[in-house]
Amino acid sequence: MEMSVQTDKPIKDSMLVNIQHKVGKLGGILPPAILIVVAMTIIPAFSSSFWIKAFTSSAVFSLAALGVALLYGRLGLVSLGQVAQLGMGGWVVLRLGHGTNLPFVIVLLIGGIVAGLVGLVAGIPALRMRGLYLALITLMGAGGFQVIVNGTGFPDGGPGFLGRVESGTRSLLARPFFAQTDAAYFRFVIIVVTLGFLFVELHRRTRPGRAWALIRKSDASALSAGVNITLYKTWAFALAGFLSGIAGGLLAGSIGQLDGRAFPASDSIMLFAMTVVGGVYHWEGPIITGLLLRAFPSLLNSWNVDGNIAYIVFGAALLQALITAPAGLAGQLADASRRFFQNRTRPSANEAADSDHKKRNEQQ
Amino acid sequence: MPNISPFIITGLAVGAVYALSGVGLVVLYRACGVLNFAYGAIGSIGALLAWQILEYWDVEILAWFIAIGASTLLSFVYGRYLAPRLAYRDSVVKAVATLGFALILLGIARWYWSDDPRHISFQMDTVGISILTVRITLTRIVAFGSAVVITIGIALFLNNARIGLSMRALANNRDLSALLGIPVPQVETRAWLMSGFLAGVTGLLLADLVRLDAIVLTFMVIPAMAAAVVGRLKSLVGTLVGGILIGLFEAIATPFQTISPYRSVIPFVVATMVILWLQRHKQVALAKGD
Repeated sequence: MEMSVQTDKPIKDSMLVNIQHKVGKLGGILPPAILIVVAMTIIPAFSSSFWIKAFTSSAVFSLAALGVALLYGRLGLVSLGQVAQLGMGGWVVLRLGHGTNLPFVIVLLIGGIVAGLVGLVAGIPALRMRGLYLALITLMGAGGFQVIVNGTGFPDGGPGFLGRVESGTRSLLARPFFAQTDAAYFRFVIIVVTLGFLFVELHRRTRPGRAWALIRKSDASALSAGVNITLYKTWAFALAGFLSGIAGGLLAGSIGQLDGRAFPASDSIMLFAMTVVGGVYHWEGPIITGLLLRAFPSLLNSWNVDGNIAYIVFGAALLQALITAPAGLAGQLADASRRFFQNRTRPSANEAADSDHKKRNEQQ
Repeated sequence: MPNISPFIITGLAVGAVYALSGVGLVVLYRACGVLNFAYGAIGSIGALLAWQILEYWDVEILAWFIAIGASTLLSFVYGRYLAPRLAYRDSVVKAVATLGFALILLGIARWYWSDDPRHISFQMDTVGISILTVRITLTRIVAFGSAVVITIGIALFLNNARIGLSMRALANNRDLSALLGIPVPQVETRAWLMSGFLAGVTGLLLADLVRLDAIVLTFMVIPAMAAAVVGRLKSLVGTLVGGILIGLFEAIATPFQTISPYRSVIPFVVATMVILWLQRHKQVALAKGD
């Protein structure tokens, strides 16, 4: 019985409750605050252009991973289509960026909202499904998007709805005036990503977060507690889509263009897999995911190691995470820090996630 | 109106291979509840080994033997030693775990064989018959014939042999089956072996008919899943029909300039519609895991 009360422990652990316990209220926000300060000052000051680009891309993907983690960690829903939504956000941003004179931030928001609406529409049939069929239908959607965007390409300043240049020079989307250099754009990305994380955190601490926690336990318990399941599930899909759309817009703004072949369905699967490896119950998880997906291959590259080794490492990490550590690398990190602070009064993140899995299996 | 008959032949052959892949996925899913994302990767390792053997010794029969053997072995290793550790998890977790295996195999394939363009050409390609000015190679005939024969053969076998009964029992309830004395690990291992065998065959055929590229073959599992979905992840004959139709539609769209670049969207559209159709009676709330 005690376990069933504690099943949302990994969620609470996400703000490193144990450290908060020791250092007081300020402790919980200390690690993310340090991370943001480091990202805003040290990384742009000491990194080469190659690494700043890798970190920009990592930050962008951690925002998309945040959406995946939200759906999987909070609601137990598997979406294998987030990279397609990232592409949609990028498409909208490029189209509006070339076609209108709206400021970049507004265009970015619209891109996020459109991707969110797509997530909402995709979420409606998904309300009836869970588990495998939901994963499959989102995968099929991602596959469809891959084929279509491969045919149409991304807007590059041309005429018509698709905005493609048939012949002649393709134009790049200009970066916003306040973020012209790589370093400045990286800082801008960090600010947007931080806002995204705070937005999700706000949800988690308020009514939607409580509704999601109930839905995750079971639809029946949520229903009996008077939770509007339809509303909150759809809202989670829309929020995840919004985050992915913003991520896509940031990516488009960073490079100025996007490649129609760069958003395959396989990348959506990869994003989900790496989100599980990073950890879906802790805020650090999506950040680790972004670094794994975009900075780790760059690291191998700079060491002259064959980039395909990354696949092998990712695969092994995924199996290891699923079999032994459901809370992912972030959970293992939290456990290590707990051991470091010698506070073993709570079950570790992975143990709690484990017991959660076991309990849910018993119910089936 | 362009002449579409050559495309019908291509479509039937490729569709048959999708169908055969789908059958391999369904056999495994029915028995163990695992939707195997590593299916394509397992087949691609076999196909790459076959290419290697053809390069060294040029003995086709040996290449077939080694390729199918390697795929069966890989499937066995995962099914016997890794899959049981996840036996009691959600089916979606089991599916995602196979993705980990797929990534490992994909990494090995691309690391060892790099991603140079390759092509396997069996001697069957040089033999063929002509029907109405369309030349049909033996490979295409073999692909189509083996898909139909193997699917019907497996369907009959699983419906009549004891192992088929055991597999259906396992799919229904693993714990109760164990209580009734069904040797669970043994039955599951056999399903993995069968599925690995089919992965080897389809990997080789796709390497000849489509392209020998680790990434292409690994993610060929996605249209195969579309075929399996048409068969509701349950019916082998439904999967066969679904796979062939998907391949056919895709190929027939090829000569039409305006829709040609978008023809590969067909598997996804078909699968999405089938999923929505299958789930139409489910209630919004109280949806159960798959």
